[in-house]
Amino acid sequence: MLLSLILIPLIAAALVPLSPKRLVRPLALVGTLIPLGLVVWLLGAYSWTKPGGVPTDLAMTVGALPDLGIALSLNIDGLSMSLVALTALLGPICVVGSYSAITARVRTYYGWLLVLQAAMTGVFLARDAVLFYVFFEFTLVPMFVLIALFGSTNRRAAAIKFFLYTFVGSVIALAGIVYVAWFNATVLKGGLTFNIAALVQAGQQMPASTQGWVLLALMLGFAVKVPLFPLHTWLPLAHTEAPTAGSVVLAGVLLKLGTYAIYVLAIPMCPQAAEHYAPFVATLAIIGCIYGGLICWVQTDVKKLVAYSSVAHLGFCMLGMFAFNAAGLQGSILYMINHGLSTGALFLCIGMMYERYHTRNMSEIGGLAKRMPIWATFMVFFTMASVGLPGTNGFISEFLCVMGAFQAGDQLGSFPGNTGGNLGPWYAAVAGTGMIIAAIYLLYMLGKVVFGPLKEPHGHGGHGDHADHGGGHGHEAGHGAHGHDGHAGGLPADLTGREIGVLVPLAALCLGLGLYPKPLMDMVQPAVDKQIATIERVREGKSPKAPPAKPLPAGATSAQAEPADVGAGAGAEMSMTTTTEAGL
Amino acid sequence: MTETITQLAGLLEPVLGGVLATAGSAGSPAAAGAAGAGAGPAAGPMWAALIPGLPILGSVLCLLYAVLGIKNKLPAITTVALLAASFVLTAVLFVNHNGQPQVVHLFNWFDLAWGTGKGEHLLAGFAYYIDNLTLLWMLFVTGLAALIALYSSEYMSHDVGLGYCRFFGAFNLFVFSMSCLVMGDNLLLMFLGWEGVGLCSYLLIGYFYTKPAAVAAAKKAFIVNRIGDLGLVLGVMLTFVVFGTVEYAKLFPMMAAGLDGAGRPVADWVTWVIPALLTVGAFGKSAQLFFYVWLPDAMEGPTPVSALIHAATMVTAGVFLIARLYPLYTLDPDLRVLTFVAWSGAITAFWAATIEMAIFDIKRVMGYSTISQLGFMFAGLGLLSPVGAAFHTFTHAFFKATLFLGVGAVMHGFGGQLDLRRLSGVAWMRGFGLVGVAMLIGSINLSGVPFTAGFFSKDMILAQGFTTPNSMIGGASWVAWLLLITAGMTAYYTFRTYFRVYAGPKEFVPGDDAELLDLGRHPKGVSLDEWHKQHGHGHGHGHGHGDHGHGGGHGHGDGHGHGTDFKSSGRVDFDPTTEEFDPHPPGFAMKAAIAACMVLAVLAAGLYFVKAPSLAGSEHGGWVGSMVHNSSAALHVEGLGDAGKAVEFRGASHTTQSFLGLDPHAVMYYVSAGVGLLGILIAAYLHGPKGWQGLFIGSRTVAATSRADGLANLFGPLTTAARNKYYVDEIYNFVIRVPLLVLGHVFHLIDKLLVDGLVNAFGRAPRAAGNAARVGQSGVLNGYAVGMAAGIALLVVLAFMAMN
Repeated sequence: MLLSLILIPLIAAALVPLSPKRLVRPLALVGTLIPLGLVVWLLGAYSWTKPGGVPTDLAMTVGALPDLGIALSLNIDGLSMSLVALTALLGPICVVGSYSAITARVRTYYGWLLVLQAAMTGVFLARDAVLFYVFFEFTLVPMFVLIALFGSTNRRAAAIKFFLYTFVGSVIALAGIVYVAWFNATVLKGGLTFNIAALVQAGQQMPASTQGWVLLALMLGFAVKVPLFPLHTWLPLAHTEAPTAGSVVLAGVLLKLGTYAIYVLAIPMCPQAAEHYAPFVATLAIIGCIYGGLICWVQTDVKKLVAYSSVAHLGFCMLGMFAFNAAGLQGSILYMINHGLSTGALFLCIGMMYERYHTRNMSEIGGLAKRMPIWATFMVFFTMASVGLPGTNGFISEFLCVMGAFQAGDQLGSFPGNTGGNLGPWYAAVAGTGMIIAAIYLLYMLGKVVFGPLKEPHGHGGHGDHADHGGGHGHEAGHGAHGHDGHAGGLPADLTGREIGVLVPLAALCLGLGLYPKPLMDMVQPAVDKQIATIERVREGKSPKAPPAKPLPAGATSAQAEPADVGAGAGAEMSMTTTTEAGL
Repeated sequence: MTETITQLAGLLEPVLGGVLATAGSAGSPAAAGAAGAGAGPAAGPMWAALIPGLPILGSVLCLLYAVLGIKNKLPAITTVALLAASFVLTAVLFVNHNGQPQVVHLFNWFDLAWGTGKGEHLLAGFAYYIDNLTLLWMLFVTGLAALIALYSSEYMSHDVGLGYCRFFGAFNLFVFSMSCLVMGDNLLLMFLGWEGVGLCSYLLIGYFYTKPAAVAAAKKAFIVNRIGDLGLVLGVMLTFVVFGTVEYAKLFPMMAAGLDGAGRPVADWVTWVIPALLTVGAFGKSAQLFFYVWLPDAMEGPTPVSALIHAATMVTAGVFLIARLYPLYTLDPDLRVLTFVAWSGAITAFWAATIEMAIFDIKRVMGYSTISQLGFMFAGLGLLSPVGAAFHTFTHAFFKATLFLGVGAVMHGFGGQLDLRRLSGVAWMRGFGLVGVAMLIGSINLSGVPFTAGFFSKDMILAQGFTTPNSMIGGASWVAWLLLITAGMTAYYTFRTYFRVYAGPKEFVPGDDAELLDLGRHPKGVSLDEWHKQHGHGHGHGHGHGDHGHGGGHGHGDGHGHGTDFKSSGRVDFDPTTEEFDPHPPGFAMKAAIAACMVLAVLAAGLYFVKAPSLAGSEHGGWVGSMVHNSSAALHVEGLGDAGKAVEFRGASHTTQSFLGLDPHAVMYYVSAGVGLLGILIAAYLHGPKGWQGLFIGSRTVAATSRADGLANLFGPLTTAARNKYYVDEIYNFVIRVPLLVLGHVFHLIDKLLVDGLVNAFGRAPRAAGNAARVGQSGVLNGYAVGMAAGIALLVVLAFMAMN
């Protein structure tokens, strides 16, 4: 069952090179629709929203390499399910959304898109660290190809940067994982295993200082993907240069690989360090919110603006995740889903505009509401979802993330709503300014592109602009990525039925999750409870239950040493708080 | 459509039946101040959820009409019908209400628990809290919304089609949001409404989205509001953390008892920090103090929008918020935040009034006047007169809507002309008689002429100001003096507009938009704005008193883009070649709405003398007073932590202070009436036309000039400064916007340097060294790797610093 979610897109991808050109798109559609159907069936077949409704009969082990401690095991829980559903939903949307944009090299394009789909699903389903890592890394290859072959002018540099950046990052993360496995095998005598659950238990046995280093390694790898300030610099270029579907997948799912990995690997493996360094990570996240937001505001390329907005948005996600309370963790998970929906939709909208005008430069276009009222309606709606207007999904997650940070500290005194933790109201207040900045740059975008006097580069009297673009266009046309003569490529002024069909499900989900998020929240609640329990154990200074193999004195002493470490950490936290304030 | 009506009828049937059945028992007395005490509020009737439900249905229908490409007035008909039904439901609810709070629960929106203890369950539902304060607000919100929708059906008729659907869709969404704001049973649903009205305000200010000024104004309104909203949302979070809930029904008893969620007395800092945070939100939405800058610009929206959203309802949300949470505001024994609110209100009222006296754009005069009147309301709240504030909100809603609708009729009729120097004697023009009467009624209300609704409500605030002891609200009597002076200025600027525009010799110059009436004439593909630029200012030559008839201090009119509404119906007979222009009088729908608002504005005065039957014991404040006294906004919250304080509050409204040695409550009627009449006389002398229309002291014979011109020149720079809003926009630009923008550019540069700069540096280095083989590629690769290594190194260093 779970394997088929991965295999079906892969099989479709394998068939793509063999099929006649006109069958490629239907094949790709089928290859993404079947997993979507399976996901819908899964959602219906189990009562995810009830406690204990998580399926237990789906876990499977595909194969094993016992000598290396690797078992190719897959499983699913509420958190995985929500992200797999997001991936499965975006799959067909990307395929259909690319119909008119990609007219040459369709086999390569759709083939790699399907491979990407399979790899991303695999990451969320893998329950073995090596399998996880393989899928994690393997997402890079299709994405690299999509950017390098189907991107815009600067695509090569973007693809290389994307690849290297994230690859180097994940190698460091792998080192961290391997160290934990080694620790488990040698120090804890737990035997060689890469089972994530076992590694998590082993990691929790590590002394606090070791946990700190492992956390650093894991965070370096995964934070690149998120991206967390200051490791975000690959993202704007990759996003801007990628084809529309690439950007949608990148924003929608690939970034979530980073947050998901931090959620299920980095934090549970090193809870003590994670708790200790929460203010540090939260500070970086808040810097990302503000720094990314202000950069958005000075962009002239509308796609780059939305790309940078991911840096700002994911800052909220990380802030909530490191608040370690129900509101923050729920908010963080919801943010993963909601950001995928609203930002993915914004990229689609911008792609639709680009297909018609072949520019993303906000000084060349404007007032498109006049020409494309349907498109403008969607654009305004998704922008508002992105701004976090109550009633849309964006608000739920953003509010919960900030609320989580607010509750996670009792600097102001102890109150019923406090949950304990290292953050507090000041973090929430500073992060809150990011909400204002989000309104500033997103409305700036709307004011430029959607509203204002109509401005079209290819419209009446706009021929002077052709010369400016000439170079870029010729370049692209040479690669056949855009088979057109500079006019709207046969597309009507406003959106086609196909394009509307692509956007409507996303809009419906944005609104639905904004007004009634309870099913999704219930679904991920077990993952939240688990995380809270892990952190609570650390806070209470208790060592977790021993792993299958008996811990040796080394592990026991480290557990003994924990309270002292936490005590010593308090001073560091104080100084960190002051640096936070000074830094902002 | 027929199906909808059938469904509606089906829904209404039991309701109407209920009215008939319960009409007899409507007046059952209720225990005052017992809001939320005991076992929680009773469940209200489920159909009450239709009050916000019908507008959202209207919004969905308008979207459907847009999809179906409906090109007639169906959206307007639907909207008027649904909003009227919503009003009827509110009225029915009001009649049936027994004074006890009720809650109508639909479904849970936020429902997140992490424990079973207090404060471990974040619960906020789509649930509606119905008490007298809610009903007071909902009555005028739904009532005015229905009337103004009727008005809009004609006013917006030039845009029938997609624009019409868009307008009424947003209009309905606004009423829905406002209902959530007012009726929400928890702070989060209130916040949904709060931001929702902000969105609708954004969409409707920017309705004429091809106009850069409108787009900029819409953006400004949203962002300034969002700054306030941050304060509000932090206040909501702190409320949850301290009290462990965001539901009113659970909050009010705790606040009344002065206890936090853990059952301890509320900490001292909390008693002022939460109100302060919420006040930031209230100031943003209600354009007080530093936040007022968005409201004048919001006049770029269509006039019905200005009337409903930016005068009568949305901008009073701040007043509602403070009134709703009055138990929270009075927790603080020193009343620090209320003192601040009182002063801010008075200063805002005065500040805005000085601007109004100088500017020429009659719609903006109304905009500033709204700011000023909101200042009165906030001062009322701060001076411990929530009744006065609520009463003034109520009366202001009607008379200001009347004034705006009248101004809208003038704009509609004169091609968007809003300059009071180019209009005169409008009331005497054919078809504008009703407008003239309505403007007169609105003006006497706003000026506080005796026996008008505006007189009574303003008087209540002023009298309270002189009675509230300075020991409770620091400088209360100074605040009251400032308000009294402002009341005189209000009368002056109101009648300045009236005498200039509606009285006197008949004379006018059509507005800029007159040229745009016939869209067929302008070349296809040229945007309206380009057309505007080319042809916009070329008229007025046929009249001897156009742009050139007067001298100094001018410069506000043209550059400001005050002409707002593009008329494209072509129904107005205007031929640019002969410069003949027939004013286009309002039609039936507009007249009906104006007349209804006017009548309601007059009738509102009567509310000062009647009392709601449910509260016999209230000393003053009439009907509104009894409504407020019987809600959370009541000042004498029963069981207030310090029992003596409740008594003190009550006592405060009687004798403690005096006005020049006299009892303020007795003397204030005469003083405020005298101040108001003095203002009107000055306006008559300076701006009134010759003869009886100018009360025999005016001398004006043409539209463009008056005795005040010399006076304006006398004040010279001050007048210019006032006409430029005292350059506050410019100051904000330089102090906030530009630095942030610069910061954005700096960050962007850093971002580029951190990667691209290093990339380039390392990319070129090998080339410079003569390393010919695969320079570009490997150079780029190295560069990226180095760029990333730099990022990682930075992180490691930071982590180290954090560790030690």
